[in-house]
Amino acid sequence: MPKSACLAALALLVAAAPLAARAKVDDPALRTRVTTLDNGLTILTLPDPTTPAVSFQMWVKVGSRDEARYTGLAHLFEHMMFRGTDRLPPESHERLIESRGGRVNAFTTADHTVYHADVAPDALPLVIELEAERLAHLHIDEATLASEREVVLEERRQRTEDQPTGRVFEALLNLSFMAHPYRVPVIGWRSDIEQVSVAVCRDFFDTYYAPNNIVVSISGAFDEEDAIARVRRAFGRLERVEPIPRNPTREPPQRGERRATVYFDVRSPILAATWHAPKSGHPDGEALDVASLVLSGGRSSRLYRGLVYEAQQALAAEGGYWELDDAGIFYAFAMVRPDGDIARVEKLFFAETDRLRDELVPEAELAKAKRQIEVSLLRGTATAHALGSRIARDWVSFGRIRPIEERLAAYRAVSAADVQRVARTYLRDEDRNVLHLVAPAAGVSLEEPAAPAPAAPPEGRQDPAPAPGDGR
Amino acid sequence: MRGALHAAIALALATALGGCAALRPKPAWELPPPPVAEGPVVPQERLHRTTLENGLELVVLEDHGLPRLEIGLLLRRGAEIESPDEAGAVALMADVMERGAGARDALALARAVEEIGADLGVSAGMDSVSVELSGLSADAGLLFDLLADVALRPRFDSREVARARAETLAGFEQEKDNPSALLGRQLAATLYDGHRYGLSVSGAPGPVARLDAAALRAVHERLFVASNAIFYAVGDLSEQEAVAQVRARFGAWAAGAPPPPGPPPPGPTPPARRVVLVDRPDLGQAQLALAHEGIARTDELRIPVSLMNTILGGGGFLSRLMSRVRADEGLAYGIGSGFALRRHPGPFVVSTSTRAPEAGRVVGIVLEELERLRREAPSRDELRNARSLSAGRFVLGLETSAAIAGSLVELDVYGLPPDSLDTYRTRLNEVTLEEVHEAALRLLHPDRIAIFAVGPAELLRPQLEAFGPVEVVKP
Repeated sequence: MPKSACLAALALLVAAAPLAARAKVDDPALRTRVTTLDNGLTILTLPDPTTPAVSFQMWVKVGSRDEARYTGLAHLFEHMMFRGTDRLPPESHERLIESRGGRVNAFTTADHTVYHADVAPDALPLVIELEAERLAHLHIDEATLASEREVVLEERRQRTEDQPTGRVFEALLNLSFMAHPYRVPVIGWRSDIEQVSVAVCRDFFDTYYAPNNIVVSISGAFDEEDAIARVRRAFGRLERVEPIPRNPTREPPQRGERRATVYFDVRSPILAATWHAPKSGHPDGEALDVASLVLSGGRSSRLYRGLVYEAQQALAAEGGYWELDDAGIFYAFAMVRPDGDIARVEKLFFAETDRLRDELVPEAELAKAKRQIEVSLLRGTATAHALGSRIARDWVSFGRIRPIEERLAAYRAVSAADVQRVARTYLRDEDRNVLHLVAPAAGVSLEEPAAPAPAAPPEGRQDPAPAPGDGR
Repeated sequence: MRGALHAAIALALATALGGCAALRPKPAWELPPPPVAEGPVVPQERLHRTTLENGLELVVLEDHGLPRLEIGLLLRRGAEIESPDEAGAVALMADVMERGAGARDALALARAVEEIGADLGVSAGMDSVSVELSGLSADAGLLFDLLADVALRPRFDSREVARARAETLAGFEQEKDNPSALLGRQLAATLYDGHRYGLSVSGAPGPVARLDAAALRAVHERLFVASNAIFYAVGDLSEQEAVAQVRARFGAWAAGAPPPPGPPPPGPTPPARRVVLVDRPDLGQAQLALAHEGIARTDELRIPVSLMNTILGGGGFLSRLMSRVRADEGLAYGIGSGFALRRHPGPFVVSTSTRAPEAGRVVGIVLEELERLRREAPSRDELRNARSLSAGRFVLGLETSAAIAGSLVELDVYGLPPDSLDTYRTRLNEVTLEEVHEAALRLLHPDRIAIFAVGPAELLRPQLEAFGPVEVVKP
């Protein structure tokens, strides 16, 4: 780097004073009102009359980690929540909201299942009633389950089986967790999706979709008193369920590096690695986030500089702290160039993660990473949807809403020594999991050996024929 | 109306009587959706427009809600100005612009941006190029400096050009690992062979391999002239300050003349049904697309066409394709249709993916639905729902000031009326069933549509032969 540019960079750094000194953060989330109904349902309300939208979100405290026998059940069940009630035919929920101009969807993670709708203010009563309707009167039958099962299998093919990155992600979690249910992909294994029955779905619903296991957040343009009254009326009759069962399995300490190879027809091999890290909310979290940014916060970050720019061996490289409610991992990922060498990429890759343990991060790099985090925290309050997600997620994971100022203070307190300490604590060689996705070696066949057809499950269909009675 | 009144009375009674079951209000879903509201959506009181002496247009949208600032420069031409044998020059130019500008080389520029937590993006499209920078309003001066450097004084160091070029070339290879990227490339190549639309914005290996710093400088000189540009600033900054900042850095920028837009692609394409298979024997799914020419961004029929498309496959679970293929038959995770609205007619595309043994069935259903939309006008309810969905998504899509400013400058790229956002919902309401049907008749051509599939050709060929002559290509 020329000297003049170096000086310029230094001057800029001095100019970049801490955020707090220059901008007072008005955190709207602090105005959230919390209402708890007698049946345990929590309602978080955060009105903002200046936006044209209102976001209604229902966070259910159940995810793939709670599945007992059928993997993928939490996600498949999320799909079934759109397939009608005793009074409403399948897909009515989303069609009614879309026909009023709303956006509606849902997603499932290892920890949570989230249903969300963003609508114009006059459609909020409809959304509340529809949500309560499916909680009280969800209808699941053989026909709707059979066709939805096929939809989920297509989702699995599209996002996981036919995608190199999907294959990596699935195998990586499986390699990283030997015992904890986080080892299972959220979408589940094919065999299980194929065999889930109506009875299994109903049982899952009765166990986890209880008001005391649900947090509702409403943010944006709406009348707070009216909305709370409507939720109370619509959800108040649901019955509390005690206790909500939780999976007891915890990950035992790892005793040595684990490696795996996945074959896929690719030109660009993929390298991925993980280390075990603490769960969400742990005091080491901020230092791990800072380490993430040092590794992969833009074109001046270490993995980009080292692997993509200097060595020209990778098309992309990044790493970061991924926090879940029960455990965390620190991951790193590189897409190797078709003309690159995966062994060389691996060496460079671990040289960068080792460097976090071996050397203190220079002040300038530390300040840059912290500033990037500070600015990104502000962005999370720009829309009604983003705010609604933030308050609900904080509530289900931490039982409170973490003020931005508190989080900023925690990040500001991170020192170079903290980053080194967490790198030494967590990024240990004996706790490392390394995965290579590469094109199959010559002579390797990926054809599945022919197997006898599995016995039909007691309920449900396995063939891809159209579901009977679905010809609406 | 009667329904609403009835419900209102029932609600009042129910409240008065403490929720007596017999008088409980009708469920909200039994009420018809309200008519689409009309009226302006652009906050004129916060919006300021100016044109500098050199022709540079300036849009400022003040929003003091967060201490943030987003600024950008949009050029009203893009990869369209390239001939097919220089395809990729504009995209590579954009890539290298992020790798050093003014006094800063690649690393110094990246550090300068990242040290203030800002985000810089230079991106190339077919019809425009944008240079965008967002950060904290407290850093306004530096943000404007950096943007001006990147836009006006990119370095195009030959070392950086070589690196970026090698990455782009490696990227072309890597794309072949991605079924949907393979599909997109094949679709463009088949529909627009010989025209710039026949390649993606990033171009193709042959021409990209020939690009050097001089070529990128030349394309930058053609595009980056004040008369071809519009500047926007959104966020925590006053109009006066924004104008002063822009004038100080862009006031002396030469007006120049915008390069002429690229030529339109030849008319209807393809002339006849054809089936193109990209062979990926390892895949479990077939990535499918059905495509032919569509309409331009400025086409007079664009509102009826968009409503027609919403009914067909652009309207979530209300759309006919989603209803049949996903909800009824469980054949796909998603299916959608859309018109690529560019300066000249881009493709109309229906796309989905399904397990390979069902590809033929899905193609058959799509063709049936295209025929049906031509055969008979949609129902009144379908039109009402499509209007409501379009209007609703439109309003939700303009929730942030940055989104409003982005939509305003997009109109400018195509020379569309600046009040288009404010009149949009009125125009939706004016569309009749006959116009939607007419749009389907004029623009959907299932008889000569091209069918594309990426997947195991051996399994796909027998299913798709019935739809037209089959051609198999290797990725």
